[in-house]
Amino acid sequence: MFFHIVLERNMQLHPRHFGRNLRDNIVSKLMKDVEGTCSGRHGFVVAITGIENIGKGLIRDGTGFVTFPVKYQCVVFRPFKGEILEAVVTMVNKMGFFAEAGPVQIFVSNHLIPDDMEFQSGDMPNYTTSDGSVKIQKDSEVRLKIIGTRVDATEIFCIGTIKDDFLGVINDPAAA
Amino acid sequence: MSLVTDSPVDSSSSDDFASFLDAALESNSSGSSPEGEAEEEEEEEAEEADDDKVEDNRVKRSKVEILEEVVEEACGSTLQGSLEQKLEESAKKDACTHPGSFGDMCILCGQRLEVESGVTFGYIHKGLRLHNDEIVRLRSTDMKNLLRHKKLYLVLDLDHTLLNSTQLVHLTSEEEYLKTQAAPFQDVSEGSLFMLEAMHMMTKLRPFVRSFLREAHNLFELYIYTMGDRPYALAMAKLLDPRREYFGDRIISRDDGTVKHQKGLDVVLGQESAVLILDDTENAWTKHKDNLILMERYHFFRSSCHQFGFNCRSFSELKSDESEAEGALATVLQVLKQVHSMFFDEPGNDPIDRDVRQVLKTLRKEVLNGCKIVFSRVFPTKFQADNHPLWKIADQLGASCSTELDPSVTHVVSTDAGTEKSRWAVKEKKFLVNPKWIEATNYMWQKKPEENFSVDQVKNQ
Repeated sequence: MFFHIVLERNMQLHPRHFGRNLRDNIVSKLMKDVEGTCSGRHGFVVAITGIENIGKGLIRDGTGFVTFPVKYQCVVFRPFKGEILEAVVTMVNKMGFFAEAGPVQIFVSNHLIPDDMEFQSGDMPNYTTSDGSVKIQKDSEVRLKIIGTRVDATEIFCIGTIKDDFLGVINDPAAA
Repeated sequence: MSLVTDSPVDSSSSDDFASFLDAALESNSSGSSPEGEAEEEEEEEAEEADDDKVEDNRVKRSKVEILEEVVEEACGSTLQGSLEQKLEESAKKDACTHPGSFGDMCILCGQRLEVESGVTFGYIHKGLRLHNDEIVRLRSTDMKNLLRHKKLYLVLDLDHTLLNSTQLVHLTSEEEYLKTQAAPFQDVSEGSLFMLEAMHMMTKLRPFVRSFLREAHNLFELYIYTMGDRPYALAMAKLLDPRREYFGDRIISRDDGTVKHQKGLDVVLGQESAVLILDDTENAWTKHKDNLILMERYHFFRSSCHQFGFNCRSFSELKSDESEAEGALATVLQVLKQVHSMFFDEPGNDPIDRDVRQVLKTLRKEVLNGCKIVFSRVFPTKFQADNHPLWKIADQLGASCSTELDPSVTHVVSTDAGTEKSRWAVKEKKFLVNPKWIEATNYMWQKKPEENFSVDQVKNQ
């Protein structure tokens, strides 16, 4: 799920960045530092959309660095248990398949793939129904339900299932 | 500048917001999901959040409790016992066995697992672990699938089996010419000599390897298992299989093994009774010797010969190479085809009950069938003769070994033409060969012409 929220961060800046462009420097540094990182609380920071305010700088004793408290608006992405997500399949093997939704890595075990879908090995391993009408292979798009999440410093892992109503392949690149 | 990164402080306002979201979503999801693991949270939040569902749940639960009481009161003691049993059974069914984990979460129920257990399958995907029961289950379903396609598993070693690599710094001055012949790593579909600048390596593919893989691919599901590290394994896989049609993600490096300095089939998702292994190092496979087909080592570079203590000139220095048509890979492909056809074409019981190790043993037994071998000056005196590797090899190849001469003896294996037994062999017109004959026969899986292994020839060398 995406959220647009306000976060705060203390930015430390080297004195060489001070001057006319101080504000720009803070913002570009903030983007570099924050975008693409994960936190267990908010999930994956997708993009910074605006700066609310930049507080008064505080000189750190002993160094020339100055700390600025910055409040910024950003879009975050965090998967939740029970959420329905659309993801792209990255790898299919006999254990199940792996899919990605942006930075989120999702594993769907073959226990959680409908029983009528069977694994087919070969150059392009896939799960196929017995009549061949539905096929999950690399680059297929699937709709799945998250049943477990774990957020690391840089990665988000999820366990998903497609063994439920209205879940499964939504777009098959092979058929197109 | 390192100071800069260490102060991510979240403001209290966003904290509140996030915790509110967390609470709201968590209670929603647990309300809709059947398992009651989040019940404690619900109770805490029930006071604050005026969520109808939570209230609903509470009411339902209390109803259930009342019902249970009623049932208990109404039922006799015997009935109650069976009821309890039933409840227990259903509880067992509901409890997840946690067949494996991905990023420390159960792959079946999504629960966080505290203890790390099971076998890591890092070569398939980072953070994936499977339990033994699950591995057994996967193997047996996969086995049925594979047998339907008339395939077996084949685990291939890289170095000295399919190819030979050397560090660029180890190239001798005589080998410098190779640098101009090597194909760049970008175009790997042609040629057999490659320079991997990024890894400071030069790699020579064994002659016949491309045809070997193409044919073996139709009969086997191929695995790579190397003692090299992961980047090396992937680079070599790219050389051998530029279109990624043979190996897929079945590339195992030393980083993925479970025991140090050992290779094991525990990370291979194939039933051991259907796995063949091609490797040049017998000691790496102590637990799976019966699955192993030993390969003659392929040395192309000088440094590789040197490493194994051979002082002869290498192929690279002689500007020659192993024979394409009669080399080790061509020979072993014949053996593999034979094993495959014996496994599948033999009439009788279901293929699922057959064992490839048994087939391999039978096939080996036929190589020297009918030979009777006597050794002379091969074993040190006082050495238990039937413990010697050569004796064991001859035995596995189907020859009968003996310490005494008698008319039924067909071969005398000797290091010296002057011994009593050697002279007897010449007099009686029996084959007199040197021990290399047995080794060559072992590698080639066929009786080599005895003339090429005469004992005098060895003395002259």
